[in-house]
Order: sequence, then structure tokens, then C-alpha cells
Amino acid sequence: MAQDPLRANTTPSEDAAGIAHVDGSGSAKHVRHVERHAEAGLPMRQALKQQHKIAETQIHDITEKFRTAAGALAVGQLVKDEYFTLFESITAIEIMDPKMDSGFLQPGETVEESYDALAPLLPEEVIGIMDQLLSYEMAWHTGYPLSQTLFTSVYIDKLLYPESRVFEEAQFYRGFVPDDKRPGVLLEVLRAYCLALIKCCDFVIAKIVGRDYYEEEDFCTHTYNRVLFVQVPMDVFQRELNAAMERLVEEETDMDEVLRNALVTRLEFRLDMLTALDLECPIERLQKYWPTILKSLTLIDETHHLGEPVPDAFSTKIQRRLASTVPPRPIVELDFKDAFQKLRQLCDDCVEATRFAALPVDPLEYQSFLWSYASRTPAPLPYSRAYLSTILFHPNTLNTSMSVPLMDLRTLLLPASPILDQSNWTLSPPRDILMPKPPRLQLALLIDEFTERAGQNYIDLWTALGQNRCRLRRMLGHVILGWDQLCQDTAAVDEDLMRVVHDMGIEDEVFPFPLTTWVYHKKLWMMEKMVLLGFEQDIYFPDEFAGMYHFLSEISSGRRTILFRIQAHISDRIYALQDHRTTSKSTSTSPPPSNPQDQPATQQSQDLHDAHTYLTSLLHEATATTALAAALSTFYIITLYLRLLPYPIRPFSTELLRHELRMKPFLTLQPPEVQAFDESVKSLQPYGPYLEPDDKRVWRELGDKEGLLWRVVDERLKEAKEGLQGLKKGGAGVARAGGVQAEWEEEVKRGLKSCVALGVAVAGVKGVVGALAEVGRDGGGHGGKGLGEDLGIRLEIPGIGEGKRYSEGWVVGKVGKVDKGKGKGKGK
Amino acid sequence: MSATDAPSTASADELQYVQYEGDKEELYLPAIRQLISKDLSEPYSIYVYRYFLYQWGNLCYMALDSDKALIGVIVCKLEPHRSGTHRGYIAMLAVRETHRGKGIATKLVSLAIEGMVAGDADEVVLETEVTNTASLKLYERLGFLRSKRLHRYYLNGNTAFRLVLYLKEGTATKRADDAMRAMEGDRVVGDTQMEEGRYDREQFA
Repeated sequence: MAQDPLRANTTPSEDAAGIAHVDGSGSAKHVRHVERHAEAGLPMRQALKQQHKIAETQIHDITEKFRTAAGALAVGQLVKDEYFTLFESITAIEIMDPKMDSGFLQPGETVEESYDALAPLLPEEVIGIMDQLLSYEMAWHTGYPLSQTLFTSVYIDKLLYPESRVFEEAQFYRGFVPDDKRPGVLLEVLRAYCLALIKCCDFVIAKIVGRDYYEEEDFCTHTYNRVLFVQVPMDVFQRELNAAMERLVEEETDMDEVLRNALVTRLEFRLDMLTALDLECPIERLQKYWPTILKSLTLIDETHHLGEPVPDAFSTKIQRRLASTVPPRPIVELDFKDAFQKLRQLCDDCVEATRFAALPVDPLEYQSFLWSYASRTPAPLPYSRAYLSTILFHPNTLNTSMSVPLMDLRTLLLPASPILDQSNWTLSPPRDILMPKPPRLQLALLIDEFTERAGQNYIDLWTALGQNRCRLRRMLGHVILGWDQLCQDTAAVDEDLMRVVHDMGIEDEVFPFPLTTWVYHKKLWMMEKMVLLGFEQDIYFPDEFAGMYHFLSEISSGRRTILFRIQAHISDRIYALQDHRTTSKSTSTSPPPSNPQDQPATQQSQDLHDAHTYLTSLLHEATATTALAAALSTFYIITLYLRLLPYPIRPFSTELLRHELRMKPFLTLQPPEVQAFDESVKSLQPYGPYLEPDDKRVWRELGDKEGLLWRVVDERLKEAKEGLQGLKKGGAGVARAGGVQAEWEEEVKRGLKSCVALGVAVAGVKGVVGALAEVGRDGGGHGGKGLGEDLGIRLEIPGIGEGKRYSEGWVVGKVGKVDKGKGKGKGK
Repeated sequence: MSATDAPSTASADELQYVQYEGDKEELYLPAIRQLISKDLSEPYSIYVYRYFLYQWGNLCYMALDSDKALIGVIVCKLEPHRSGTHRGYIAMLAVRETHRGKGIATKLVSLAIEGMVAGDADEVVLETEVTNTASLKLYERLGFLRSKRLHRYYLNGNTAFRLVLYLKEGTATKRADDAMRAMEGDRVVGDTQMEEGRYDREQFA
């Protein structure tokens, strides 16, 4: 009984009253009364109630005081106290306003819906209701509240309210019902379906709230004090479904076979859904369930037309009785076709998520998987994301012999390193605490200190990758700041580490300041992703493209430099190892270096080679990003000078202020990543302001296909292509994306296509710039004559999500010819 | 809406632009409510209007025709934001359908921004639906940039852009002082959204 929300917060004496009302007939008056009890859970009411009991009631007449005070005000004068906030104002309603006052009845309107839930139904109608429920279920999955979807069903309402004390009470009626009104087989079938559906909702809510993977905007967990059979185990619902199927087959022998099969299919589907959504489902068996559901989906789809809608079985009036602060809102209508599409997507996404369990134990593979999952289109629903995160954060995934950040660190920076030698962790501190600890033990302790500090940041990144795409971009901003702090905190640990390394004389085997380098590298990677997400989400205005791609190129270039240095270090180590082997073969006296004794040289060599290959892959990727971003940036600089992009005057803003606003997420980073405004202007406006270039060479340079900026575009584009081809050649496995090979290959392909598209656009613009010499003769201040559409071309920026971009993050303008007749009118 | 939407100053100037006055609520408010609620799926209660107009009536401007009929209105606020900035917020903007495309909204927004500048604002912020191209164009021509995309921001499930206009240098690096931080405790979170609800959760989630 403790789970009963109506009673949980009330005192024993009131408890009895509550029960009496719950058991009552459910008339409007009683319902209202019970709802007041529901509200008793509010802390303020509770406090008032207790005071009421302790203190003797005293009544003061304040009429006079009130009159005097009110007399000081003019008629209509407003009074506002400081506690009246925006939130208060928004949640306020106006009594007797039909749109706000949920108790307002139109003439002749009744509070209760008049639909008779015990009236017999035709099989077609049951199918119709079931499919309508499915539509509402999916509408709920896409983010609408239960009150506007499933809870508008009279049948669901009857099952849930008044809340049943024992499960058997959950019927379309309460108490006594004459025999001739008792529900027949078809109503029992519908009941079993509804019960299982409610339990599915319970499972879904539990899964989603169990993770940090949803926001109110994504998904509404509110159940309005209705209890979705939280305490009833799953087998009860399975039993109901099975019994309903049996009765259908045994008792409804006259029913059309096709209709009966359609009903059985729907019950079986619910049974499968329950099993798949079950929270207790063991991780190793996850993969089994979803394919079964996918099969029954086709059957449901094929028999949907058999159904007969029963609109009266759904009503907004039920909202009036739900514990909510908002007035009734319209029912959310989602077409069966669209709902079905969502359901199919949900299943597909869950199937995909189950593949996570089969990934090799490697946080970089996880990262690739999470990134690829977050990039799926259409975007996975909150449930699927929560489903994946449950697998991601499952103890099986996290309980590895080496901590997750450390595995990542080892792959990038410390392969076969004495710093991570297992034996370091087996040493004991000296008995005398004044004695220095053995250096290897010091290494182990420093690494432990670091991984403990870095763990949360790592999880934060994973969590961000599980959010909806818009939030992912915003959350990355916060995660980056966290990693920035981590970078600063790590500096001290790194210094200690390097001191020990120095004392041990193993500097040659350790990349200098490995921990900060690793953190910094990851931070830069996230910044790149965040900028690309900005393009993907249509955040930047076309005249910002040049600047944002320039910024992206700068970050990526910095990351590339780091990768070069790491790879050079790994190469040195490979040579050193080979040298050692050759020398130790001839002179066996040479002592082995400090390398891990228990690790055979062949294993070390293998690890180093693997790291080298991985770094090659990363380098290709960083090169491609740096170069393509630079090529695009330069291309957009050119097109800004040519007035092929809109460049609003913006009376209330300046370039400086916009630069500050745009760079806000990165302004505090250390070391500074944001170019000072003046520097940025120099890079982005090499010939002076776009509308009034003061460098006279501009038209000559842009008019010459071999001019400086054109050469930059061509060279960087070539570099980008080479990078992507190298990346592709290395393959997904080497890039630590073997688990999502197909998606990874697709992304590389899209990058290559973007390069090709840019090549085409460049050729299109180059084709008309010959005429620029004429513009040059006019000098700078010509008001744009001979530019823009006067060039005979226009640059179209492909919008997001229209399939017009090869890659959503790489926005490549498309050059089109201006229709001379039309062009005149528009090109003002 | 495209280039033809550009302000044709002539028709915008025929109107009279008037600042709201608190003691004329009876005169103005019914028309304001009527005009604004036309574009809303669910009405705001009178308290929402009063919340803004009582405190920032000086940042509410109305476009009236020669018969004093309300053609357009903008409702705003300006107050310290917990990010540390003095933040202007455009809460409502509406122009009568028959008068759109004449630059009236642009004029109203400009007046409001000027009012905020006079009130020492650091920035101006608002949200608008990602599909509302006319509104996006209007604000972006004035200098606003899109800072965030807000998934399913509105109750009808539509997604919004947050638009921001910086008015002063150094706005991005302003930090909340301690007094402001103490206010974080009573942040508002609800199932009705308008600036604060969504924004706050994001900042402190």
C-alpha cells in the first residue's frame, strides 16, 4: 500500500477517508475530493495541515485593515510583490476562460465522458482501438505527454482509475456488474492488450529515468499520479495476454479468421514488446527479442485497414481528472502511418544498440559507436538512446581490467610503455614512511590519481553523446570546459610523472607530458565536433562560414601537430627496439632497457606498430579536416568579396561583437584557442572589408585563376582528398571504428563527395571571374557593380536535412547560372 | 518572404509608434492581448502581460494607425541575468496580418533595442521557431546571431533557435557575482516554457 500516491503523504486518520473515496462510485464529487488528497503531497499544504493541528485556531477580522489599505490604491492600480515571478505568471490561469479553466463547461457539456466502456465491440472496432492506442503510444515516445496521448483512452483510464488494490480489480468497471453487462471475450482481449500496453509504458519510463539520457523536451515521464502497475511483475501481463489469445481461439469460433488473426497478431506483438522492454532482460540475450517484433510489425501494418476507428473511446475530458497544473490540451494526432514508421525506427534503433554489447573492449570503439549512433537519421528516440546507454553503462562494459580513460590514453600515447607496466601496481610502499617510494610505484600512484580525476570527464563525454543532437552540441560546450579544467589540473600530475621518468632515466621511452597531451588532444577533437555540429544545425549565417571553417581548421591543425609529434615519438621507439634487438643478438651483455620485463619484445613491437597505424589513421583524418575546412573558408572569403553571399548591414551589431558572441564557448580555454579579433580580421579579410576592399590587388588576384586565394583553395582541397583517401585505405578497424564499419565508410565517402562538390563549385566561380578586371578598373567603391549576380552566377547554400548536403557539417555552396531576365530584378 | 519584405519606410511611417503607459492598461491591454493571442495555440493569462508591462512598460512599443487602432506591438524585459549580464529579452512581437511586410516589426524591434541600449543592456535575447523564416530574417538583418538550436522547445513540439545580439564588448566573459549565484536556488522549472524554464535547466543541469 505504501506505493499508493494518494495516501503516501497523508496522516493515518485522513488515510481512512481517502480509502472510502477511492472505493466510492467515482462520481465527480468524490473524484474531486480524492484529488485534493493527492495534492496534500505538496510540502506547503502539509506544513499548513500540521500547524492546524498543533495550534488552536484563532480568527482575526481584517476587514477594516483591508479596506484602509485598499483605499490607498487607485482603481485598476496594479500591485506586485517580489515573489511574483515569470513562472508564476505563466502558470496562472483565468477562471471562466474556456481555454484556461479546466472546470469550465460549455452549455450542456458534462464533466464526465459518456462513453460506455462495457458496451460490446466488434472485432474491427477492437483492431481500430488497438491501432489508435499504438499511434498514441508512439506520439508519447516522440515527446508528447501521456495526458494528450494514451491517457485520453477511456479504456486505459478505467483500468488505472480508481487505482485497484489488487490486480484483478483492474477492469473496465469497478465493483459489482450485472451478468449481462460483464465484458465478453473481445473486451477481455482489449483489456489484456491495454494492461500490457500500460506495463510497457512503465518499463519505458523506468528505463528512461534510469539514465541521464533524456530531457523534458525529449520525453515526458509525467504519469499524473496514475500508477502504471509498477509493482505488478511482467508474467502477470503475459498470462493475461496468453489467456486472451486462448479465449479468442477457443470461444470466438464464428469470428472471421482474418480478423481473429489480426487480433492475435496484435496480442503477440504486445507480448514481444513486453519481453523486449523488460528491465531485467539479461544483456547477453538482448539481441534475441527485437527481430521477432520487427516480424510482427509487417503483419500489423498489413491488417491495419481491417480496423474500424472508435473516436468516442478517446476523450480530452479525462485530463480534467489528472493531477496536473495545466488546462486540458488537445489530443495529439499522429497518423498511423507515421506512428508505425516511428515504431519501426524504435525497433531498428534498439537492434542497432544491442550490437554495442558485441564490441571489443575498447573505449575508442565505443566512442565511434556512440558518435555513429548519435548521427543516425532520423535521430533515435529517447527510449532507444536510454536503451543504448543502459548497455554502455552496464557493469559488464565498465568492469574492465584497466580503467576506461587509461585504455584510451594507452592507445594514443602510451603503447608498451613502462609507465603502464602492470608490475608497477604490484609494488608495496616501503615500511618506513620516510623512505622514498620506489619510482615504479610512484608512477602507478600518479596514474591512479589521474584516472580517478579523469573518469567523470570521460563519462560526461559519453553522456553528451547520448543526448538529442541539439543538446549534444550545447552539452559539448560544457564538457569541453570540464576537459579544459582537467587539462589544467593534470599539469601538476604530469610534472611529477616527468620527474620520476627523469629519475629513472627512461625519457626516451615516454612522450613528454603524456597526460596533458592526451587530455588536450581529446579537447580539441570535441571542439571540432562542436563546430561541425553548428553547421549541421544551421547555427551559422552564410557570411560566418568563412570564419567558422577557419576556426575549425585552426583547431584541427593544432591537433594534427600533436599527432605528428606523437607519431614521431612512436617511430623512434620502434627504431630503438629494433636497434636493441640487433645489438642484443651480437652482444648479449647489453642490459634490456627499462621496458616491461614481463612483456615479450615481440608484443611490445606489435603494440608500437599498432599505435603507429592508428596514429596514421588519425593524422589522415585531422589532415582532411584541417584542409577541407581551410579550403571552404577560403572559398567563402572569395565569394564574400564577389558578393555571392548575403552580407547584411546589421545596424545594431559590429563584427567585433559578433566575433565575441560566436567565440563565447571557447573564450576561456587555456591555452587560448580563439584568435584575437584583429588577427581574425587579417586572416578572413585579406584585401580589406568585403564590401569595400581597400587592397587594390583584390580584383586582379580573384580574377586570376592562379591567384593566391584560388591556389590556397586548390591545394587544400587536394590535401583534403588525399587525407580522406588515406583514411579510407586504412579502414574502419584501424580507425577504431570497426564496430560501425559501414557507417564509418559512409561518412568518409560523404567527406570525399563534399570535396568533389567543392571542386565543382570552385570551377563554377572561376568560370566567370575573368570579368573582374573590369570591376578592378572602377576601383573599390563601385557599389558592387559587376559583382554578385552581375557575374552571371549565384551561390546557393544547401539547407539542412534536405539531402542536398553530402555531409551535414560540410556546407558546400552550389553554383547556378543566373537567368538574365530574372536576375535583373532580384540582384539589387 | 524575401527581398520584397524589406521595410518600405513610407507605410511604416504613416503609423504612430507609442510607448506603453501603465495607467492606460484598460485602453491598451485588451487590444494587445487580442493581437498577440492570435498567433498562439494557447493563450497567456492576463498575468503574463501584466508581469512584463508592469515592470517594463517602457520597453513595450505599439504601432497605432490614424484611428488609434493597434497594428503591432512588442513586449520585452530587461534585468540582470544569472549569467552576469544585463539581459534584454523580447518576449512577444506581433503585427496585424494585413500590415505585414511593411517593416513595422523591424521598427518595433529597433525601438525596443534602442530602449534597452538606453537601459544599459549588455545583450538582447529571444527565441523563434526554426521554420519562421520571416522572423529569422528580421532579427538577423538587425544583427542577431543564432546561438543555440532548442529541440522541441515549444509545447507544440516545434524546435526553436535562440537568437542573441551583443550590445557591448566583454559580454561573453561576464561572470555571475556571488549575489547572483545565490539566486540560482530558486530557478524556475515548469512545464510551460518561456525563456527561463528551458534555459535554466540547461545552464545548471
